[in-house]
Amino acid sequence: MIVSGTKELPAPRETVWGVINEPSEMAKLMPGVESFEITDEKHWTAKVKVPLGLGGLKMTMNFEKLEERPLEFASMRAKGQGVGALMDMTTSFTLSEVEGGTSMVWEADVKIAGPVGAMGQRVLQPIVNQQVSQVLAALEERVSAAAGGGE
Amino acid sequence: MSTVTEQPTTTLKKGYVGQSIPRKEDKRLVQGQGTFFDDVRRHGMGYVHFVRSPYAHAKIVSIDVSKALELEGVYGTITGDEVAIHTDPFFEMSVEPGGNIKDYALAVGRVRHMGEPVAAVCAATRELARDAADLIEVDYDPLPVLVDAEESLKNEVVLHDDAGSNVVWSGVFDWGDVDQALADADHVVKIDRLHFHRFSSTPLECAGALVEYDKGTGEWTLTCNHQMPGVGAIWMAPALRTGIDKLRFVTHDIGGGFGNKICLHPQYVVLCLMARKLGRPVQWTEWRTDQHTANAHGNERTFFDVEVAVKADGEMTGFKVRALDDCGAFPRYEPLGCIIWAQVTPGLYGWRNIRVDFTQVCTNKSPVSPNRGYSRMQHLWLTERIVDIVATELGLDPVEVRKRNYVKAEQMPYETPNGCVYDSGDYAAALDIALDLIDYGSVEARRSEAASRGKLLGFGIGSTLDSGTNNFGQSTLLNPDLQFSGNNEAASVKLDIFGEVVVTLGTVPQGQGHETTAAQVVADILGCSPDQVNVRRGHDTWFNSHAGFSGTYASQFAFTGLGAVKGAAELVREEMIQLAAAVLQAPPDVIELADGFARIKDGPEEAALPFMALGAIINANNAFLPPEFNPTLNHRFVCRPYFGMVDTEKKTGQLTLTYATQIHAAVVEVDPETGEVEIVDYAAVDDCGVRINPQIVEGQVHGATAHAIGAALSEDFVYDEEGTLLTANFYDYHVPHAMDMPPLKTGAMESPSPVAPLGAKGMGEGGGGGIHCIGAAIQDALRAAGGAIVYTSCNPPHRVWSMLQDPEANSAHVEVVSR
Repeated sequence: MIVSGTKELPAPRETVWGVINEPSEMAKLMPGVESFEITDEKHWTAKVKVPLGLGGLKMTMNFEKLEERPLEFASMRAKGQGVGALMDMTTSFTLSEVEGGTSMVWEADVKIAGPVGAMGQRVLQPIVNQQVSQVLAALEERVSAAAGGGE
Repeated sequence: MSTVTEQPTTTLKKGYVGQSIPRKEDKRLVQGQGTFFDDVRRHGMGYVHFVRSPYAHAKIVSIDVSKALELEGVYGTITGDEVAIHTDPFFEMSVEPGGNIKDYALAVGRVRHMGEPVAAVCAATRELARDAADLIEVDYDPLPVLVDAEESLKNEVVLHDDAGSNVVWSGVFDWGDVDQALADADHVVKIDRLHFHRFSSTPLECAGALVEYDKGTGEWTLTCNHQMPGVGAIWMAPALRTGIDKLRFVTHDIGGGFGNKICLHPQYVVLCLMARKLGRPVQWTEWRTDQHTANAHGNERTFFDVEVAVKADGEMTGFKVRALDDCGAFPRYEPLGCIIWAQVTPGLYGWRNIRVDFTQVCTNKSPVSPNRGYSRMQHLWLTERIVDIVATELGLDPVEVRKRNYVKAEQMPYETPNGCVYDSGDYAAALDIALDLIDYGSVEARRSEAASRGKLLGFGIGSTLDSGTNNFGQSTLLNPDLQFSGNNEAASVKLDIFGEVVVTLGTVPQGQGHETTAAQVVADILGCSPDQVNVRRGHDTWFNSHAGFSGTYASQFAFTGLGAVKGAAELVREEMIQLAAAVLQAPPDVIELADGFARIKDGPEEAALPFMALGAIINANNAFLPPEFNPTLNHRFVCRPYFGMVDTEKKTGQLTLTYATQIHAAVVEVDPETGEVEIVDYAAVDDCGVRINPQIVEGQVHGATAHAIGAALSEDFVYDEEGTLLTANFYDYHVPHAMDMPPLKTGAMESPSPVAPLGAKGMGEGGGGGIHCIGAAIQDALRAAGGAIVYTSCNPPHRVWSMLQDPEANSAHVEVVSR
């Protein structure tokens, strides 16, 4: 399933780039993250609880930065595996300057599979929509705070 | 003592046989006092959970069990690498290329379907084992996925490198002269595609076993619910590099099988390895989602390029078809499905010219196994679809076209073009009973009445055969090197010291009422009440009589199972008469067995010995018996039906022995707004020859019909393009419950089998009639809304709605060429 959209953020491109390309910052934006560990600058791991189907599905997500063009474009892949389920997600962000801030064009290709994961298929779309809106709201808040110089 | 019979032909005079006596099993079952394998506990036993692949197709890069082993209470793990070291691949039945497939108990290096076990973990509790499984880290490298049999044929992705092809088996069956029949036909009806979907008759009880290993003897005891232990052991023992007798299968009560419990050998081998490795009993109970995902499905089959030869008067003289069967990731019981259908090659019809070009392929889906109506169901659905599509296209009446083309009662026994012999039956008479039950004459009036309510009413017929007692020699039509032929089943009957008649069966009942029907047969032979006959529950390969093909499958208990019981009981009876004659100083021919006594016919009242006396004499008080007279009152009998050898060149032979008839008829109402189908009237008529216990027959008819209704309207294993099963639970895979069942009318007739020991035919697998009659009724209902043709066996509301929206697209697969 591919989801995409555009988000205008009230902060300079450098600020937005700083938030979305810093793993520890991104971890704070993601719902359901229970622990987070940076392996190196291109790889990090998070234990997350995905609200899928009939309850939460605990997964260990491995993130890998695939491509990076500073201040302009970044893409990463996240592979998660839990008991009987797996999630494979590729996301990308394209930033451009607009009046009053930064425009972020984003896209995510989400795949969920496995015997247990299959149970969540029918509710995947609304869950992904909900997760995306939560991430974007948190991102806006974080970027605004960073632009304002505080937390 | 053991004796073998060749096709006994006597028929019992009815006594208890033929009566609907209450099932002996039901007292314990309805009181919750049945014992299932999961009820059995052993000191120190561990619980096994399988780690299963979330991918449909992937390389296994690594498996790390270290974190699981660190968890307190975890006893151990097994991975595919260990399996590859300690076992051999399972025996494959196919010729090349399918015969080269390597199938291990756990995935070795690669997974080929979602839910395939890649590792097993054993822990102190079931929950802990599940938690520990969560800690086993498997790194996969995904591979391209095949979920479509036609794509699989292209071999662009090959699932099994050792085979080098996705084709398991292929061959052409050609009987008569179909080309000539088509050339001589007045009409040739062409159907380019029909599809029989993937589903499974899910049992209430999932699979499982408790496995104990005896280090001293190297023997395993499997307390389990395998429904065909004889064949299970044939797979398992070579894989485990041990002897057949090292594997003791014990069953108690089993909560349904339907074929799902035939291919359990992979999981059982893992349990055997685990029990040996850990030195403790291990138990595994399959989770329901795992049962749906990775136990076994029924064969999915697509039929292409059907051409039917039809005369001007509606007589159908032949057909040809290309069949493509999808057996999932591993063949396991396959490719037997590539031949089993041939037991019913012409269905109920007089077609003499038939060509079937059959191919079976692997895909990244769950492996298949026999499923109630195995392989014949798919083929019979084809024959019934042909009949109804021909009737629709040529404007023929579906009742009349059937009666014109049915094999006639006076033709029985009828030899089919491929050498099978339909033993008895009167299909037209059975159809008339079904028509009466649903008041066929009122269908048009009901159609008008339904139309006034905005509903589309339709009527359909499904006529099928339940072929029973199969000849394993048919496997040689697929692979001439296979060393299987015939069939057999064993039973033992003895008279115990206190006069109790004890019966053990080689069969493995899963709810069919074997304890009851065996007791009825024995009671009639020995002259006692069924209450005096103790038929031991379950199966035990060490203590029950059994034979190479022992088990409960393929509708054969009525023939081989009860044939063995009858044979053993008759041997005991003969000795009881001899013994009573010796004791009563009377000639044997004046001795009768009745009411639990051996007595002199028309003799004085005291000239009678209770069974207890006979049992006591032989077992405990036998010093006075002369040395040359040595009855045991304890006999084993093997029923070995006579088949003769099949002709592997012509692909002909007696593939099975009995043919029970099922004629189902349905009246449905379709909601044109939603595509919802409601069955408003339903009749099922069964002719299984002599009914040993009519109520048990009735129960089988009800169960098979429920399975048919589920398959026809809702039960569908649907995969997405990634090979993820989307219907892996009872929420998405709707099995009919009581509220879904229509008012079911049943009828019966008895055409005794001239070849079966009791005149009785196996009859548990007749649900195919239901699948077809519902589809036919939907097609009939849609005549008034564009006339879509039903091309698939499962028609849930969204599919019916689609046919309503675009009837032309749904009737474009048929062409009629008339001369």
